[in-house]
Amino acid sequence: MTVAELKEAIIRLDRKKVEELTTQLLKGSAKAEEILNDGLIAGMREVGELFARKEYFVPEVLLAADCFYIAFNLITPLLKAKKGKEKGKIVIGVVQGDIHDIGKNIVKVMLEANGYEVIDLGRDVPHHRFVKAVREEKPKVLALSALMTTTMLGMADIIQMLKEEKLREEVKVIIGGAATSAEFASKIGADGYGEDATAAVKIIESLTIE
Amino acid sequence: MNKIHQLFKGNKQKAVFPIIGADHCAYLKKTTLAKVARKAKELADALEYAFRLYRYDIILIFSDPYVEAEALGCQIDWEPFPKILSRRKNSGNDRTGIIIETAERLKRRVDAPIFVSIKGPFSLASFLGGTETFFKELIIEEEKIKEMIAEASEFQIRYLRSLLSLGVNIFIGDPCASASLISPKFFLKFAYQPLLRIIGEIKNNGLIVALHICGNTKPIIPFLDNLGCDILSLEDIKIETKTPKMGGVATNTIFFGGEEKIEKEVLEAKRIPSCSIIATSCDVPVTTPPEHIKKMIETAREERDG
Repeated sequence: MTVAELKEAIIRLDRKKVEELTTQLLKGSAKAEEILNDGLIAGMREVGELFARKEYFVPEVLLAADCFYIAFNLITPLLKAKKGKEKGKIVIGVVQGDIHDIGKNIVKVMLEANGYEVIDLGRDVPHHRFVKAVREEKPKVLALSALMTTTMLGMADIIQMLKEEKLREEVKVIIGGAATSAEFASKIGADGYGEDATAAVKIIESLTIE
Repeated sequence: MNKIHQLFKGNKQKAVFPIIGADHCAYLKKTTLAKVARKAKELADALEYAFRLYRYDIILIFSDPYVEAEALGCQIDWEPFPKILSRRKNSGNDRTGIIIETAERLKRRVDAPIFVSIKGPFSLASFLGGTETFFKELIIEEEKIKEMIAEASEFQIRYLRSLLSLGVNIFIGDPCASASLISPKFFLKFAYQPLLRIIGEIKNNGLIVALHICGNTKPIIPFLDNLGCDILSLEDIKIETKTPKMGGVATNTIFFGGEEKIEKEVLEAKRIPSCSIIATSCDVPVTTPPEHIKKMIETAREERDG
């Protein structure tokens, strides 16, 4: 029973094995930080790469995310300092009228696996809640998701509201979701577009380099 | 001559249809989708209003994506846009009768091919199960998923038979079967056979069937070509297919414009031999400026090919 096996169990999407291995590793000599970095984060990175290479698709990534959280919840109480704060805070959510949150959830887990603190506002989020979260949480990035052509237009309204509240310069805004595109991002004045979860993480990393 | 070409054989140019659903029609009439989608008269009036305003070549009865899911027990919230609030309960609010009555009304009033939008069984089953859970269960609960898809298929066949008896054509939307979401292997395993059955039923009745799948479809084109539908509605119409295609104008383009870009995309689509209908790549966003839609139609009908 090793951390490498835990990483492998995540890649193989074996939720039961992930739970068993994490429990056993914690009973043994493995440190929570080691489980997190060499098991969970390493496993999710590999899953992200498989997704980028179109060997894994959304169902596989969703199951991998389940695996990640099963183990993450077991080790969280033992982590000395909550992982993530060093890379910065991201506020994420699906815009008003849209309940399609699979993409957002995948981006969230990828960001957490890459060391970000993620404030997840959920789905069908009213515009003003994004603005409030930017004001109060002071994130480095606001990540907006929309699947539908009907709801994607709300992203432009949120960016406008951030300008009116003089918050636009305080935060980078990236968008994603099936209905959106790089061109749409540019038209509405967003700072970036993530075609998929892997691309979203890369863009956020480039936007948050100090 | 294939059925699509036969359908528009009197046209000097390729047929044109921005995929306009009831939400944009409601916007034009300064009302809401919630008000037009739940009464056949209102729905027919709204669809006819947009059809007469723009004068495109097809009328599509597309209320919202959740007609069948609601009939099977999902609870729908209408504001500001329709969405599934909860998964299936025991009894549903069946609006399929509204769609059937709308088709009857429009058949009497409109002299254009009528298509009715239905969901592919795979996507319908995903709505019933909650899409995230459904996707995970594709891997870990295969038999359960196959049962759900079978149930969705049976419902669609019954609904389809009522529609086909009216002599309307069918526009199948199967967004969750996109290769942007599931692997080609899963498409073949779960989505292909139910589509084949539905398409066969439509063709046996001598009617026309269009299939729309959003996002990336390139890896599943060989399967789509084998389904035998009359036309494929794809985001990227430059992909080579054996089946005629519709599309060409990106959703962003129709929404944002400008006119030059709309013109460019229409002219490019006109030059693609296998593109039989100049259409938008997905449904037109609700608040799309009407002048953009008019520009698309005007360019498609101009006697030039770029």
